[in-house]
Amino acid sequence: MIKKITSLLGASALALGASLGSARAADTVKVGVLHSLSGTMAISETSLRDILLFTFDEINAKGGVLGKKIEPVVVDGASNWPLFAEKAKQLLEQDKVAVTFGCWTSVSRKSVLPVFEKNNGLLFYPVQYEGEEESQNVAYTAEAVNQQATPAVDYYLAEGKKKFYLLGSDYVYPQTTNLVLLEYLLSKGVKLENIGGGFRKDGSGKIISAGKYTPFGHTDYQQIVAEIKQFAASGDACVISTLNGDTNVPFFKEYAASGLTAEKCPVVSFSISEDEFRGLPAAQLVGQLGCWTYFQSINTPANKKFVSDFQAWLKKSNVPGLVKEGRVTCSPMVLSYVGVYLWKAAVEKAGSFDVDKVRAAWKSGISFDGPGGKVTTQKNMHLTKNVYIGETKADGQFKIVKSFNNVYGEPWLKGKFK
Amino acid sequence: MNFLARLIRWLLPLLLAAGTAARAADTPREVIARAALAEDSATQRQLIGSLMGRGDDAIAPLFEAWRTDQLFIYAAPDGTKVPVQLTGPKDEAGTQAALRIDTGAALTGPSGPLRLNAADLTAVEHTAALRRAMKAVLDLADLAAPDPAKRVLAIQTIGLTQDVEKLPALQARTPLETDARAKAVLREAVALIQLKDEKNETRIAALTALKELHSLSTSDAIKRTLKEAEEARNLPVAAAAREALRAVENHRSFVDFFGTLFRGISLGSILLVAALGLAITFGLMRVINMAHGEMIAVGAYTTYLVQNIFGTGITIPFFGFSLGIPGLNFSGGVYQSYFLAALPCSFIAAALVGIGLERSVIRFLYRRPLESLLATWGVSLVLQQCFRLMFGANNVQVSSPVYLSGNWTVNDIIFGWNRVFVVGFAILIVFGMWLVLTKTSLGLLIRASMQNRTMASCMGVRTERVNMLTFGLGSGLAGLAGAFLSQIGNVGPSLGQGYIIDSFMVVVVGGVGSIGGTILSAFGIGGIDQVLQQYLPVIAPGLGWVPGIGGFLQNLAQDAAVFGKILVLAGIILFLQWRPAGLFVTRSRSLED
Repeated sequence: MIKKITSLLGASALALGASLGSARAADTVKVGVLHSLSGTMAISETSLRDILLFTFDEINAKGGVLGKKIEPVVVDGASNWPLFAEKAKQLLEQDKVAVTFGCWTSVSRKSVLPVFEKNNGLLFYPVQYEGEEESQNVAYTAEAVNQQATPAVDYYLAEGKKKFYLLGSDYVYPQTTNLVLLEYLLSKGVKLENIGGGFRKDGSGKIISAGKYTPFGHTDYQQIVAEIKQFAASGDACVISTLNGDTNVPFFKEYAASGLTAEKCPVVSFSISEDEFRGLPAAQLVGQLGCWTYFQSINTPANKKFVSDFQAWLKKSNVPGLVKEGRVTCSPMVLSYVGVYLWKAAVEKAGSFDVDKVRAAWKSGISFDGPGGKVTTQKNMHLTKNVYIGETKADGQFKIVKSFNNVYGEPWLKGKFK
Repeated sequence: MNFLARLIRWLLPLLLAAGTAARAADTPREVIARAALAEDSATQRQLIGSLMGRGDDAIAPLFEAWRTDQLFIYAAPDGTKVPVQLTGPKDEAGTQAALRIDTGAALTGPSGPLRLNAADLTAVEHTAALRRAMKAVLDLADLAAPDPAKRVLAIQTIGLTQDVEKLPALQARTPLETDARAKAVLREAVALIQLKDEKNETRIAALTALKELHSLSTSDAIKRTLKEAEEARNLPVAAAAREALRAVENHRSFVDFFGTLFRGISLGSILLVAALGLAITFGLMRVINMAHGEMIAVGAYTTYLVQNIFGTGITIPFFGFSLGIPGLNFSGGVYQSYFLAALPCSFIAAALVGIGLERSVIRFLYRRPLESLLATWGVSLVLQQCFRLMFGANNVQVSSPVYLSGNWTVNDIIFGWNRVFVVGFAILIVFGMWLVLTKTSLGLLIRASMQNRTMASCMGVRTERVNMLTFGLGSGLAGLAGAFLSQIGNVGPSLGQGYIIDSFMVVVVGGVGSIGGTILSAFGIGGIDQVLQQYLPVIAPGLGWVPGIGGFLQNLAQDAAVFGKILVLAGIILFLQWRPAGLFVTRSRSLED
């Protein structure tokens, strides 16, 4: 399973050779940034734009890529999925960017996918997603389901949990993830009656959807929490939550008020990272779990340097609309950061900005030591990386309680666990 | 495989016990000190587990210190590491006296007792698994705790483990127990463990006891016993288990029924509180007030402001200026009471905004209701953008005071304090509003003006002023609702958008202009919504026979929260076909023009 690993040193040596040759060519390379800077998703996606601009500055300060400075072309998807496709078309056909970093929601990714495939562009996608996709025009730096959801289940099983309640927001990522989790739990010997939330069956009685779902913006969690409380009454129960965005606030308020605690019935949330705590009451989530491939609390020199460099950049940067106070780093941000460096390494290894050559370099297996530990590119356009499970602390940071090293990113999981 | 794993799990503590036997003379303090220094959490858990059943007053406070990050590692100059606890008052340098964990004596250096600063030390780590191990030790010790609530919790936890080894401890406790609730729980725990007994008589007796107790937490254990008995063709035990299970399920439907009732009342109260303001501005005054949601948001943000003023203060960017509000730096109970202070503040703030809105926009539009719709919608957009500019696009955090974040659990039915508070509060403001409208001269003027402005003004009523006050009252009520909703949901710029539809729905169904109708429709809608959420999953699987959509109906269980709401909306549409003017039709000559 372990891919051939080419060291970064080798890649940069090649790059040095290549850059000498092309030093006199045009001195910038255009790179697209495609995130929502307005609308509902702006809160999350603006952070990714910020970290990308920071990374470009960091790379440019050290001489750029193949001797060329990165010139970002920032466009606003405005939380509007068809607009994402239009903006992608503009980036690829008008601006002729070498690569694009962008998208948060799965629906925005699905919306731009045909554009990237038609124009043979390259999109770096940094946010945990449901898998079941493997485009040659997307580099998935994101967590696949087996790099977030299944390790969390492994952790719960090791803790002696026997009952699992699945709860999520009603859209493609929670639905697909919960279906994979259902198969995974059953393969681990958890009985169907010990999986809570309900099932949906098709005509032949096959389960086509598992878990309890609420719409975006739902506020009344009384009944669901009462159900969880009964579910957890016999002990050894836990909740796996794919609730998204601000519905977490009424859910956790109700959860705490009903007397459920992390010790009685812990909740692992896949959509709450450090950045989300800027708008969430962390005090009500103390002890609840998160599972990501990066936490700001990772205690390594590389991560400490990354965090302080970002803070220093925030202070001196003059990007309009930049929020400077109370900023944190989180997994999607780091995966964006890592993505830029992996692209740089791939370009330098290929000696060219040509998408086909960069893709080939990516597939040959490139490693980068990022803030979350070493990541390695895979043939299936995903990443091998470390997975961490953390407990929420009152200050909105996570205390790491378990880590899994070098987890291979596997997008195709449906039907894999029998 | 499973059997092997279980065997190992049973043997492991024994092996460990053998390993630690040599050091059995260690005091609990020494064991905890070693656990604090241990590198991996498995060793830590073993060491802590070895304290099981050892009665020592030092254990509980040390675990408590550990859990709350008050246990530190002191690295001595010679490189040895000593776990310590800091006690006593802090001096100017922030240092405190240090106690060694292993001996309980003061930590001494070459020159007498050392004083350490907590900020320089690293707290000993703890994970959920470790805390559970500590809790298991404490639970056994807690069997004799003076606080009955603590005892109950400890007994329940021990019972659910169904660990035969712990049975003697429970049985020893039985004759000593005096508290009624603890007695019942003790009986339940003993019965749960006895389900693992080999003798049929003991198991049947245990099942009979569980049947009498019909506690929800025992249902899984009874089901397991039933399955085992059925597989072993043990008919008497299976029959007893079935009986016990039926008793538990009966109790469950009782809990579900009354739980649903309470949840319906609480949702109804929220709808009512949110809609009452609108019942005045839209119901009485006939202003199609699209800015009602933003009045709610004004109240919620005021609560946020008051919270911060009671705390450490806040800085608000205000159209280019930065407005710094110093905090009062309260803490403890005074800080917790911020919410009580926030109630009148949010009423006043929203009322003032409402009066401003009435004076500047709405008073020109009383004769043009459709234009008031557009104008107030515009105002709502402006207000939303103001919130964004002042408080940021992110949601802000409003903490729940302690007296609103607990619950009473009566007979397994949860009564959340915040919900009980909302219900009580809804009753209070409805009563208050009724007093104002019917028993005061202002109320009389309001009713007169709202029925016929021209006529009232001919009679000498200053209708301009009455309009202003009425709109202020309605907006103030919306502000109060905001203060409450901040305890239940999010506070953000688009807070109001989530409630505006619900509010209009309640007022229209109730009958525009009728406060009584608003009350009835709020509780009706809340109740129906909760009943559907609770019982859709129960009845849905049986709906397969419905031609055409049977398959669809069968699968409603999962999305009960969504379909409950959809069905309520569909029901309202049908209801309004039947009674376009709502539940209560207000008739007066002036309103028919």
